[in-house]
Amino acid sequence: MDPRFTEQQQEWRAEVRAFLDDELPPKWERSTEFCEDEEYWKFAVEFTRRVSARGWIGLTWPTEYGGLGRPMIDRLILAEEFAYREAPLANTIGWGLAAGALLVGGTPEQKRRFLPPIARSDVFWAEGFTEPGAGSDLAALTTRAERRGNDWVVNGQKTYTTWGSHADVMFLAARTDPDAPRHRGISIFCLDLKAPGVTLTPLYNLGGGRQNHTFLDDVVVPADALIGELHRGWNLIMNAFYGGTVQAAYMEQQRVLDKLIAFCRSTRRRGRPLIEDPLTRDRLVEMSLIIEGQRLLTYQSLGTMLAGRPQPYAGALGVVVQKEGMPRFAELTNLISGPLGQLGEGAPFAPMDGGPEAWYRQAFRNHAGGTSQVKRMVLATRGLGLPR
Amino acid sequence: MDFVLDDMRLELAKVARDFFTDKSPLTAVRRLEDDPAGYDPGVWRTMATLGWTGLGHTEESGGSGGGVLDLAVLYQEIGRSLCASPHLESAVVAGGVLAAAGGQDGLLRAVLGGETTVVPALMEPGGEYGPAGIRLTGELTGGGIRLTGTKVLVPYLDTAGWLLVAARTGDGVTLALVDPGATGLEVTRSANIAGAPLFTVTFHHVAASGLVGAPSMGWDVLGPVLDRAAVLRSAQIVGAAERLLELSVAYARSREQFGKSIGAYQAVQYLCTDIAIAAELASLATLRAAALLDLGEPAAPAVAEAKARASATARLAAERAHEVHAGFAFMMEADVQLFTRRLRHWELDLGDEDHHRERLADALLG
Repeated sequence: MDPRFTEQQQEWRAEVRAFLDDELPPKWERSTEFCEDEEYWKFAVEFTRRVSARGWIGLTWPTEYGGLGRPMIDRLILAEEFAYREAPLANTIGWGLAAGALLVGGTPEQKRRFLPPIARSDVFWAEGFTEPGAGSDLAALTTRAERRGNDWVVNGQKTYTTWGSHADVMFLAARTDPDAPRHRGISIFCLDLKAPGVTLTPLYNLGGGRQNHTFLDDVVVPADALIGELHRGWNLIMNAFYGGTVQAAYMEQQRVLDKLIAFCRSTRRRGRPLIEDPLTRDRLVEMSLIIEGQRLLTYQSLGTMLAGRPQPYAGALGVVVQKEGMPRFAELTNLISGPLGQLGEGAPFAPMDGGPEAWYRQAFRNHAGGTSQVKRMVLATRGLGLPR
Repeated sequence: MDFVLDDMRLELAKVARDFFTDKSPLTAVRRLEDDPAGYDPGVWRTMATLGWTGLGHTEESGGSGGGVLDLAVLYQEIGRSLCASPHLESAVVAGGVLAAAGGQDGLLRAVLGGETTVVPALMEPGGEYGPAGIRLTGELTGGGIRLTGTKVLVPYLDTAGWLLVAARTGDGVTLALVDPGATGLEVTRSANIAGAPLFTVTFHHVAASGLVGAPSMGWDVLGPVLDRAAVLRSAQIVGAAERLLELSVAYARSREQFGKSIGAYQAVQYLCTDIAIAAELASLATLRAAALLDLGEPAAPAVAEAKARASATARLAAERAHEVHAGFAFMMEADVQLFTRRLRHWELDLGDEDHHRERLADALLG
């Protein structure tokens, strides 16, 4: 047990920071989830390809699949620094979800086929899990893929497709054996979003981004687009959910907290700097505790994985803490920023250029990847052994 | 960056778990509630034999090596079992002070060997934790000191060999050793929620037996030792909270209402998961603080975070456990109350949540 980073790891952190200083102008420091500006997206794709050019997308992957074979802690450091700068790293579904599944459950041939284009940022991915009738209860999905000759023909509807309009392919979960019990008979495919029969219609979200309904009508998917084993997609969904990478979203919150502390130093209320107000100070402490809690759980989870030990509470605790912390954190930014916190970006006198207004709206994205209630159920049943 | 306990410490945890399960079942914990000493001297002697009273101290000084992280592992198990002893007060706080101040090698050796106990007398009727709360007057008299004032929440006095008293001398705090039989001492046992042996001690111009460390520099010695103790109190809380979680889960599984186990109701599941989340975060913060103290790294924010989280966890774990057990846990015959009452004492000891949140604010914001 040593909470310190090694000198080598600190040098790596400095290298990542220097890259961001060189390649990321402050005006583009914003998440790809909540910006649809065309010029911004052009930059995001270019920026992501420059990260690829360094080999950093596949930082931890085996070299034979386009990776650098570096240790997972280096990926964590990269994630922390990118999150702190809100670096517009596109293709989260590609390097996160798809690559994670491929690394865990892909055949060597599938890995050779799909991973290098992700590492190069040649192919951008969208997620195709959620359906109108299958959200938290994902195994209720009804989109089906039927065998026709060498191909599969897909029919159904996906929804909340984030980055759908910026993606080339979809990481699709479809039912391939309608007669099997519902957790069996699901398979994962790489579906070409430019193929005939794919229709995306926009859904604009509260955060300011675009998601989509994705209609799939007789879309032909070649047999070699299968990821993992036929009918075994559920195992892949359960075991490889963003498993190939490590996230550090708490560093986005650290960035917000730092901005807020600066705001409190420069703002006077009730005759004194806001930073001296005891209630405000305690709220800033609460925000810091929300951040540190996630940091501790992230470090523990990574360390436990590297030590080859089973995750405490079946690995279900960290995600609850993260999801439940998000809206509270955003609420605290608004409680501190005061009456002008409702003003948006660009408005005169908007504190922190409208940050609190956006942070509050965007915090309701915390359901992505499963609601906090579902995660609590998992923690209670799989983590604590309570009955279903 | 390595954030898991190594095999040696996991082994220590296992040995300690077995030891306290055997020596301190909850039936024994109940029996000791009526005991004036408040702990089992036989168990204490065995702990000394195992080297645990000298844990965290160098072998040259009479200790058995190891650091705060080893102690934290031990304290999680002490907390789980509710095993009472003057370990934190004597071995950690007094032993830590004697080791840091120097000049009392014989007494330090006896403390670390568990042969005698020295109990700190810090808190005063003003109820303020920290150097500003020390108002008991110390009158320095040519190498000695005379003490006038009152200390509260003084632990394990019945069996103590010495009192370690913090006194106000001008702008500073001076530490002194006092014989519990000294003339001018007035001692009363105080009723308290934990049923712990806690005493109010009034000093009427009491001559101390000697100073510990330099006059008026006492807090420089005491402060770092209390940080270490706060981390261990946190570990103890974590252990007790995890035991409450286990009791709550077991009860929720076995208790049936409306034709099914109450643990299948999400409202009850939320109560249980609340304890798990708070205890896990407090545990990680505690281990991080312990590791940083051992490494000699700046640890003040980590210590404050650990005790702030642990103190909050102490309240939450008890409250949620009572909600799960409902009327059953309101009965003295149920075990939950044994934890509830002690957790309240530990929550408030060595700085409560507010105290440590203020420290965090100072560290974060200046």
